Amino acid sequence: MQKKGLRVIHYLNQFFGGIGGEDKADIGPRIKEGPLGPGRMALQSLGEKGDIIATVICGDNAFAQDLETVTDEIIALIRPYQPDALIAGPAFFAGRYAMACGAVCKAVRKRLGIPAVTGMYRENPAVEIYSRDVTILETGTTAKGMPEVLPKMVDVVTRLVAGEDIGSPSEEGYFPRGILVNRTTDRSAAQRAVSMLLAKVAGQPFKTEVPLPAYDPVPPAPGLKDLKGATIALVTDGGLTPKGNPDRIEPERATRYGSYPIKGMESLNPEQYEVNHAGYTPVFVNQDPHRLLPLDVMRDLEKEGTIGKLHNTFFSTSGCASIMDNVKKMGKGIAGELKARGVGGAILTST
Amino acid sequence: MRLQLNVIEIKDIEFSGKTALSSGRLFIDREELRHLILQDTRLAKVDIELAHPGEKCRILQVCDVVEPRAKVGGEGVDFPGALGEKGVAGQGTTCVLQGCSVVTTLYAEEVEGPRDPNGEIIDMSGPGAELTPYGQTHNVVLLPFPADGVNQQEYRVAIKTAGLKTAVYLASAGRETEPDQKIVHELPRPTNAGQSDNPLPRIAYVFQVVSIQHGIIPNDPILYGLHVNKMLPTIIHPNEILDGALLSPFRAWGMETYGIQNHALIKELLDKNGRELQFAGVILTIASDSEHENERSAIMAGNLAKWALNADGVILTKSGGGAPEVPMALVARRCEELGVKTTLGLWHIPVDVSDISGGLTMFNMPELDAIVSMGTPWQSVLLPEMERVIGSPVNLPDEPPVHGELDRELRWIRGAQDQLGSKHVSAAIF
Repeated sequence: MQKKGLRVIHYLNQFFGGIGGEDKADIGPRIKEGPLGPGRMALQSLGEKGDIIATVICGDNAFAQDLETVTDEIIALIRPYQPDALIAGPAFFAGRYAMACGAVCKAVRKRLGIPAVTGMYRENPAVEIYSRDVTILETGTTAKGMPEVLPKMVDVVTRLVAGEDIGSPSEEGYFPRGILVNRTTDRSAAQRAVSMLLAKVAGQPFKTEVPLPAYDPVPPAPGLKDLKGATIALVTDGGLTPKGNPDRIEPERATRYGSYPIKGMESLNPEQYEVNHAGYTPVFVNQDPHRLLPLDVMRDLEKEGTIGKLHNTFFSTSGCASIMDNVKKMGKGIAGELKARGVGGAILTST
Repeated sequence: MRLQLNVIEIKDIEFSGKTALSSGRLFIDREELRHLILQDTRLAKVDIELAHPGEKCRILQVCDVVEPRAKVGGEGVDFPGALGEKGVAGQGTTCVLQGCSVVTTLYAEEVEGPRDPNGEIIDMSGPGAELTPYGQTHNVVLLPFPADGVNQQEYRVAIKTAGLKTAVYLASAGRETEPDQKIVHELPRPTNAGQSDNPLPRIAYVFQVVSIQHGIIPNDPILYGLHVNKMLPTIIHPNEILDGALLSPFRAWGMETYGIQNHALIKELLDKNGRELQFAGVILTIASDSEHENERSAIMAGNLAKWALNADGVILTKSGGGAPEVPMALVARRCEELGVKTTLGLWHIPVDVSDISGGLTMFNMPELDAIVSMGTPWQSVLLPEMERVIGSPVNLPDEPPVHGELDRELRWIRGAQDQLGSKHVSAAIF
């Protein structure tokens, strides 16, 4: 008999689903009515609020071997149940199981538009892969922690379904999703700044509200041995494009870059170029694009024989309020194109 | 330096045949005010409107907000240098009309650069009004129009001047009124550095007042009536800042003149002075667009904090967008090198709220380990339809009408965020 209320689906691997151990890790996805294994504990936590209407089970190897197909199959199994939410695992420190939990949660959120919550140990590699898209509660390493974490998963998912605000990662015990949210504070920023400084001056503990970024170090490439024989390219993030911005490079948070011909050109005619960049005054570059992109000087160096040759296009994008992922992609794209065209070195000019 | 603020609570404002103040009601002679503003030949005409808290009214293209203030006793000049007369600020007695603001707006026929077509707005009711102090004050809104042949930069200076003139004109009506409150700001002169037996830590404030990143408006009166685009780090008394020596630069973000007159961090330091700390003073800096200037500024500001103000710690805030974070961080790093502890306050302009994988700051210096978040200006809020619009609308074909329901980021609501520490908000990673 089914209670009224939330219709929750639970995802488990072959082991927690009671089918078997490693020897059954190849079984494909299947669905069973009602709760199984840890699902009974989840059902208890749900209480009057709802039901575990079905449990999806899949072998860890089967999932790992063909993640995309299995995810599609699981979505097809779940869809007819018209669930309100999904919980997966928790997977603790189990690597393949956690990847499956992450993938299932991400897929139901995206394709069925319903909340999904799972749980993992912090060093599980799936945390880094899925914490952006999925609410992952922090667990210990083993299933001993089940009675603690499963009720928390149920609590969070029911509140997500109700559209309630979820607290911060540290308050709720989930891994940060990497989004920024304004929160009201008891004291003004001015009051907090003075308190923080007084604590710091007194040598007392204090906690920054803004962690410093952890950038990947970029080791510089080894210098060119033979500059005279090298082709050198010009690359800029100052937003210089031909008039009309043919590639529609965004003036801030750019996702695109362009490559523009300079073959046979001795200089850049200001009337044919423009700056698309929201972070600095374009007046001076618009007056004379060489202030950003020193084509004139490079031609001199080419004639003097200091460099072998200037590459016949320049690359440009806009570096303003940029998003790291986009920048990395563009960097790889530009570097790849330069390499493919036999360019030995690049000069990067910024603003 | 002793500054007395005679604060009069304004409960209502209305147009009348004569400008006067009575029982918290401010009566304004619109024609006399118009005549005063139009003495400036850079302006062709000016619309003057009133907007009240709770009214279904939206103000567009806001340039600046000024709290009405006028000198009523002792030495001192109203907004010295900016209104012609030169002189001092920070001492004597100043009449303050609290609960009232002068809002200047820009006449614009087209959109300039990557920004909201209607600029920064103020709603007088609904969720937008709750977010900003200017949705909760009785506002005198000015829309000055440029005279023929006046260029955009001159026009902008004229708008600013009109706002300041109006603020003085209105507050002068309170000259004879018994204030509701008298606030005195008076810091004792510092004793000989090193010989003080005061055990409280000496805390200074490094206030970055302008960023040159988007260019400057020549003759924009910022400090004692002059521009500061090449200013060296300068020690200034906090009273001077609160009393009109320093005005919001034209392109300032999160830093209206009203916010400077009521500077939250300076008020907090004055409040704690003598109890938890000794307020050692304020150092003004700018964010230049030249690396050399920024490095010079860092060295000089750090040295002033350490060797002139004898500070144990400094708080730093910034102006503008993302780029000015770096000059602020350079000053802070120099202070830390000298053994002066630092705390920085900033909002998260260069950060995409939906993906913070690129980090939350433009700098990465491990010694800068104490940072206060002033929130993200990119959080959206749904603003309901309004009945009345004040200001010059720019209607774009694919945009909803300006009076209608709008989905706006805090960035475009004037006063919803600030860089001076007034907000009870902090951005957290979720």
